[in-house]
Amino acid sequence: MEAKEIIFYLLAALTLGSGLLAVTARKIFRAAIFLLFSLIGIAGFYFWLQYEFIAAVQIVVYVGGIVVLIIFSIFLTQQAGTDLPNPPLRRIIFSALAALFGLIFSWMLISQHPFKPGAESPVAVSVANIGSMMLNVNDTGYALPFELVSILLLAAMVGCIVIAIKSRTETAN
Amino acid sequence: MWSLSSITDIVQTWLGSTFNPTIALLLQFVMAGLLVITLFAVLGLVLVFMERKVSAYMQVRIGPNRVGPRGYLQTAADTLKLLMKEGLVPAGADKFLFNLAPYVVMISAMLLMAPIAFAKDFQMWDLNIGVLYVSSVSSIAVIGILMAGWSSNNKYSLLGAMRSGAQIVSYELSAGLSIISIVILVGSLKISDIIASQQDGWWIFKGHIPAIIAFVIFLIAVTAETNRAPFDLAEAESELTAGFHTEYSGMRFALFFLAEYANIFIVCAIGATLFLGGWMPFHIGNLQAFNHIMDYIPSSIWFFGKTFFLIFVIMWFRWTFPRLRIDQLLNLEWKYLLPISMFNVLLVTIMAIMKWHF
Amino acid sequence: MNDFLTLMQSELALTLILFILLIVKIGSEKMSNKSLLGFINVMLIINLLIGISSLWMQRPGGTLFSGMFITNSLILFEKNILNLGILIISLSAFDWLKNHKHLTEFFMLLIACVIGMFFMISSGNFLIFYLSLELATIPLAAMCNYDMDKRISSEAAMKMIMSSAFSSGILLFGISMMYGTTGTISFTELPQLLDGSPLQIFAFILLFTGFAFKLSVVPFHLWTADVYEGAPVAVTSFLSVISKGSIVFIFITTLYNAFRYYADLWYNVLFLSAVITMTLGNFFALRQQNMKRFLAFSSIAQVGFILIGISGSSSLGTTSAVYFILIYVFSNLGAFGVVQMISSLTGKERIDDYKGLYKTNPFLTWILTLSLFSLAGIPPTAGFFGKLFLLTAGASQGNYVLITIAALNMIISLYYYLKVVRAMFMDANENPVERIKGSTPANAALIICAIGIVVVGLISSIYDYINNIANFGF
Repeated sequence: MEAKEIIFYLLAALTLGSGLLAVTARKIFRAAIFLLFSLIGIAGFYFWLQYEFIAAVQIVVYVGGIVVLIIFSIFLTQQAGTDLPNPPLRRIIFSALAALFGLIFSWMLISQHPFKPGAESPVAVSVANIGSMMLNVNDTGYALPFELVSILLLAAMVGCIVIAIKSRTETAN
Repeated sequence: MWSLSSITDIVQTWLGSTFNPTIALLLQFVMAGLLVITLFAVLGLVLVFMERKVSAYMQVRIGPNRVGPRGYLQTAADTLKLLMKEGLVPAGADKFLFNLAPYVVMISAMLLMAPIAFAKDFQMWDLNIGVLYVSSVSSIAVIGILMAGWSSNNKYSLLGAMRSGAQIVSYELSAGLSIISIVILVGSLKISDIIASQQDGWWIFKGHIPAIIAFVIFLIAVTAETNRAPFDLAEAESELTAGFHTEYSGMRFALFFLAEYANIFIVCAIGATLFLGGWMPFHIGNLQAFNHIMDYIPSSIWFFGKTFFLIFVIMWFRWTFPRLRIDQLLNLEWKYLLPISMFNVLLVTIMAIMKWHF
Repeated sequence: MNDFLTLMQSELALTLILFILLIVKIGSEKMSNKSLLGFINVMLIINLLIGISSLWMQRPGGTLFSGMFITNSLILFEKNILNLGILIISLSAFDWLKNHKHLTEFFMLLIACVIGMFFMISSGNFLIFYLSLELATIPLAAMCNYDMDKRISSEAAMKMIMSSAFSSGILLFGISMMYGTTGTISFTELPQLLDGSPLQIFAFILLFTGFAFKLSVVPFHLWTADVYEGAPVAVTSFLSVISKGSIVFIFITTLYNAFRYYADLWYNVLFLSAVITMTLGNFFALRQQNMKRFLAFSSIAQVGFILIGISGSSSLGTTSAVYFILIYVFSNLGAFGVVQMISSLTGKERIDDYKGLYKTNPFLTWILTLSLFSLAGIPPTAGFFGKLFLLTAGASQGNYVLITIAALNMIISLYYYLKVVRAMFMDANENPVERIKGSTPANAALIICAIGIVVVGLISSIYDYINNIANFGF
C-alpha cells in the first residue's frame, strides 16, 4: 500500500468514525465535538486532493464558525450537561436497520456504476483564479451565484435579527 | 557555506535513495514531528524565562536568579516540577474531553508550524494558501479551549472558555483583515511569495501608513487572540481564578501553558513574515553595498530576531496596560478595530491598484 | 450590459425594492406603519406594472452567464404571476401588519424570498437552482416566526427549517450523484448525458423527493399542516400559493427539459404520488376544525391535481399547470384573505366560528364562498376551467384510471368545501363573528381576487396566451 492510500483510509476512518460517534453520543456537547472531528476529516480529504483553498475554507467556515456557534448555543442552554434520554430499543433497531440499508444500497449502486474518468485533465486551482472567477461578470464568470449568496446572507441576517431582537417594551417591563 | 536548507536537502536525498517513497515519507513525518516538538520544548523554556525577566525589568526587579547561573535554569526546574505533579481530574468532569482538550490546543499549534519559513528555503510545507491556512487552522484552538472549559465541570472554567471563545472569534476578523491588506499588496497567499516580495524593502516601510495601521491592528488582534494581557479575560486571575484551565494540573496544564507560548511565537512569526520580511535581510532599495553587508547575517538570525522583537513587544504590552472589561474588549473590536481595518483594506486596495507603494 | 437590464429585469426590480427597504429601515425610524405599508404597496404595484409591460412588449428570451440564467416569455409570465401574488398578500396583510413592530423586515424577507424564487424559475444549472431554492426557503422560516409572542409560531418556524434542511440534504445528495454520473450540472447538457444507469435513477429519485418535500406531496407532507397552522396567515398564504407555485414552475421545466429521458419513470412516480396526495389530502381535510389546517390539507389535495396536469408531459401540461397556478393565486389568496381578516381582527380561526358569518359579514362570506367554489372547481368559477384543463392534460396520456380517481376526489373535496359554505350561510350560531370592517387595501385585495376568479375563467384568451408562450418555450 502506498502512503497516499494509507492516508486516505486514515482520513476515511476519522470522518466516518467520528460521524458515527456524533450520532450515537449521549451528551450533546460530545456530539458537537465528534461532528467537529468529522468535519476536520473532510477538510483533510480536501488537502489530500490538493484543493487547499477549499480545505482552508472548510476549516474556517465549519470549525471556526459553525461548530463554535453550535458549542456556544449548547453552553447557553440549560441542562447541556445532562445525558440525552435513551431512545427506545425499537427506535434504535429500526434506525440502525434503515441506516444500514441506506449504506448497503448506495454502496451497491455506487460500486456497480462504471464511472468514466473526465476528459479534461485536472486543473491547478489557484486562489487568484477563484477570486477572479467569482467576481467575473462576463459570460463565463460566477458573479451571479456569488451575488445570490450575498442576498441569501443578507436575508438570513435580517431574519436572525428580527427573531432575536429584544423588543423595547419587553425591556421596559 | 552551511545553511539550514543544505542540511535538509542532504537528508532528503539520502532518504529518497535509501528507502522506498512510502517509508521515506513516513520518516520525514516523524522527523518533522520530532523537530516541532523539540522546538516547542525549547521555546517554552526560553519564552517563559524571557517573560519573567522582561516583567522583572519592567518592574525594576531582578527576576529569577537562584537556579543555575543568573537563574537560567529556573524554567527547567519549573518544567520538572510540572512533570512530577499529579494530574487531577475533577469529579463530575467529562474525562474523555478533559483529557483531549490540551492535545487539541497543542496539535493546532503544531500544525501551524508547517508553513512558517524559519530561514531561507527552510520551510516544511510551502502550500499555496499559506496565510489562509494559518488563519484557518488557528481557529481549531478555540475548540480546545471550549472543550476544556466545558468538560472541567466548573463555572469559572465555563465562563473563561466562553469569554475566550467570544474574544478569539471576534478578534480573528481584524487579524484576518490586516493579513489580507498585505496579501492584497503581494497578490499571493503563499508565504514564500510574500517574503520574496520584500526583497527591496519590508512591507511596513513600503506600504506607507496603511501598512503601519494594519501592523498595529494585527499586533492588538493577535494579543487578544492569544489571550494575553491586557486581553486576558479568559483567565483573569482576580475574577475567574484561572479561567478555562482552572481545573488542570500537572502535565495537562503544562501543555496548555506551552501551547500559549507556542501560539505567541507563531503569531509573531507570521507578523514578522508579513510586515517585517520574514527571513529577508534589511534591504534599502538599490543600495547594493549596504544590502550585501546585510546579506552576510544568516537568514535564520534575521527571522528569529524579528520574531523575538515582536514577542518582546507583546510582553511589553502585558506589563504595561491594565486589563480590559469584557464589554470594553468587544467594543474595541466591533466598534473601532473592525471598521478601521475594513477602511484600511479599502485604502490598501486603492494603493495596490494605483501602484503607490514602492 | 444591456442584456443584464432587460433579461434580469424582474430580479433587478425586486433587488432594488429590497435595498430601498433596507435604506428606509436604517434611515427612518419615525415613519408610521400605515404610510410605510402604503409606500411598499405602491412599489409592489409599480413592480407588477413594469413586469406586465415587459410582457406586453414581448421581449425576446435569452441566457446569461453561459446558461446559468435562462429567461423567456413563459418564465416572465410565471414571474408576473408571483408578483401579482405578493401584491395581493401584501394588500390583504394590511390589518395584520399595521400594528407589527417589524414591518419593514417582513417585506425584506418576503422580497428576498421572491428573488430566490425568480432565480429558481430561471435557473439553468443545479448550482443556481440549489442556491436560489435556499434563498427561497430560509427567509420563509424567519417569516413563519413572525407572530413573535406566539409559541406555536416559533414552533412552525422550527419545523419549517428542520424539514427544509432535511429535504435540502436529500436534494443535494441527489444532485451530487447526478453530477458524479454525468459530470455536468447544467440543465441543457444533462439530457445528452443521461444513460439510465441504476445509480443515476437513484439520484433522480432523490431529486424528485427533494421536490416532493417542497411541494408537500404525500408522503412528504407531514410538515405542512403544523407549519401552516402556526405561521401567521399572510405567511401561510405565501407558503401555500407563491412558494408552491414557484416550485411547480421549476419542477415542470426540470422534468420536461432536463429529465425528459426519464419520462416513463417520472410518469409512473407522478401517477402514484398524485393519487396518494389527492386522496390523503382530501381525507385529512375532511376532519379539520381549524380553518388554516383545513386550507393546508386542501392545498395538499390541490397539489395532487397539479401533478396530474404535469404528468401530461406536453406543452398542454405546462399550459394547464401555469394556468391553474394563476387561478389558484386568486382563489386561494381570496380564501386566505378572508381568513386573515377575521383572524387578525377577531382572532377566530375555527370552522365553528364561521357559522352564521353571512348574517354579520355578507361581503366576506360571498368572497369566501366564491373562493371555495373556485378551489372545489364548481363551473362558473375559474377553478372549474383550471381543473378541467389539468385533467385534460392528464388524460392526454390515456390513463383513465387516474382521471377517474381525480374525479372521485373532486367529489370528496366538494363535500368539505361545501360544508364550510353551509356553515357560513345556514348554521345558527349564538355568538357569531361580530361585524368587522377591514381596511381599504385588504378589501381591495379581496375584490381583486373575486374579479380574478370570475374573469380568468371566462376570458379564454388568457389560456390561449399561455398556451402560445408555452409552445414557444418548448
